[in-house]
Amino acid sequence: MAEYMNLILEVQPTDSEHRGYYESARQGRLVVQRCTSCGLLRGIIGAACPFCTSGGWEWEPVSGKGTIYSYEIVTQAIQPAFRDWVPYPVVLVELDEQRGVTWRWGIEDESVSLRLITNLVQRDDPTKPEDEANVAIGKRVEVTFLNLADDFALPQFRLSDEDPEHEPWQAG
Amino acid sequence: MGSESATVKGFWWIRTEYSAGSGSGTGEIVTGLKDKYCIVGIGETSYSRNSGRSTRDLGAEAVRNALADAGLHPWDVDGMINYHVGDSTLSQTIATDLGIRLDFYTDTFGGGSSTETIIGIATGVIEAGLCHTVAVYRSMNGYSGLRQGGSPGTVRPPAKVVVGPDLDTTPYGITSPAQNFQFTFARHMYEYGTTSEQLAHVKVACSNHASNNPRAYYNKRVTVDDVLDSRWIVKPACHLLDCCIETDNATCVIVTSTDRARHLRQRPIKIKSVAGRVNKPFQGMYSHYQCDPITRQAGYYANRVAFRNADIAPEDIQVTGCYDAFTFTPVLLFEGYGFCDEGGGGDYVSNGTINLGGARPNNTSGGQLCEGYTHGMNLVIENVRQLRHQADDSCPGWENGVHSYDYSEGGCRQVPDAELAMNMGWGTPAVASALILGR
Repeated sequence: MAEYMNLILEVQPTDSEHRGYYESARQGRLVVQRCTSCGLLRGIIGAACPFCTSGGWEWEPVSGKGTIYSYEIVTQAIQPAFRDWVPYPVVLVELDEQRGVTWRWGIEDESVSLRLITNLVQRDDPTKPEDEANVAIGKRVEVTFLNLADDFALPQFRLSDEDPEHEPWQAG
Repeated sequence: MGSESATVKGFWWIRTEYSAGSGSGTGEIVTGLKDKYCIVGIGETSYSRNSGRSTRDLGAEAVRNALADAGLHPWDVDGMINYHVGDSTLSQTIATDLGIRLDFYTDTFGGGSSTETIIGIATGVIEAGLCHTVAVYRSMNGYSGLRQGGSPGTVRPPAKVVVGPDLDTTPYGITSPAQNFQFTFARHMYEYGTTSEQLAHVKVACSNHASNNPRAYYNKRVTVDDVLDSRWIVKPACHLLDCCIETDNATCVIVTSTDRARHLRQRPIKIKSVAGRVNKPFQGMYSHYQCDPITRQAGYYANRVAFRNADIAPEDIQVTGCYDAFTFTPVLLFEGYGFCDEGGGGDYVSNGTINLGGARPNNTSGGQLCEGYTHGMNLVIENVRQLRHQADDSCPGWENGVHSYDYSEGGCRQVPDAELAMNMGWGTPAVASALILGR
């Protein structure tokens, strides 16, 4: 359990999907679920594998490197504690691992990638949002951890030193 | 169809049945109920931001108005379906208030995409013999009570406990619909060059239509610049005027069989087909972002169900009612249902097509962007009016279907000779519903 932005973040005893996630983060590891049956990773925490239906999974450390796939800048906060943060960026990060897995034989031109939703925070201070001018699709990012308790850290992403994956794009 | 063994370790099925559009594609025989059921009554309250009334009171008024519109007595209605997100008053209460004894009711959880879906459920339960006439309603204090995604501007409340799937997003300050959908919008702008100017045309069209609707909460015409100059809510796609108008209201439509409809007060409007709730493969509020193309709305799938069972094509539709929570949602719905190509929605909404007087007017009441936010119900009610040729504009003969078709401010809002109309509901980018109605 941790307190952050006037929220009490709590992994309940029955929350079998989130158990271990924040503890790993506190130890500096970003983890995703790996299916113990088909071996595929999944980017959003769930109870079973969408690829093969198996309920067996384990946490798998990943590099924590990725690319901004989409973004938003919130200028009117809904949650009260975020009002001091506006304008703040939220990014959809595509991790480097397991990109573009064809879904159902590609019949509907669909594919699945590992994508996490976090804020883009300042490079030297994960408690502060990155300047909105620096947020763009295609930029490279890396995970950072906001330590909130002895057994709880919140993963966040920040801009990395790497060159952008493609010409960065931000709405004009 | 041939079979092909899946090769990835752990897959336990073989590919024998899935093909493009499986379960909802061409060539597959699915029994529809085309023209067998009708909407025979519509009712609503005013649209306000300070109703000062319970959702019970609002709901009773909307259902009563729909009964009166249909020429039905309380004892003629034996079914009720309501949808809610923990805010509406439930069926049994409204039924009791109005002296209606029910043979069937259910209260389903859900917001946008519920309207079309539960109209479909109404036809299904009548077909199954559970009841014969269903009042479908929604009641909400959508501004003064429960606001979608929460209310900004309140004093700092006690710390909120966040558990379960909310842990994946709430700590990052992302909870409201504009925040939830924005990754789809931004990626669409990146991939297809969709612009804020194009989006603004959706609002402009709605405001022009609302200026001819005395009931609309906002009935002043606005310009593209008005939209672009309004303050940002979430960049890059949602200025204040890109967002719908949250209001307090209740709404109702009454569904019965075509046989019964013949004896009622209004021209029955036939239900040609319903789809809903239709989903993308990864269908959760946030999980759908795992699956490309994230710019695709689930209408991509729903259109197969809707058009197949109605046995028509998009080009046959003369009026649309697109769920306009934001100016962007119609862009994606028009693409999903094949009114234009994927990526072509920005052009479609800004080339004049959706205006009264255009090739296929959209949201002729002003929609949720101007008339009022109802979680979709008012868009169906308006299409029923259009198909009755009774858009209640300022034309003196509107009740008799006599219209000027002069769409200037304060004038007419009836689409000439409207025979086929379509509603496209939206839950998220990953959830769609649809309703095709005919005169």
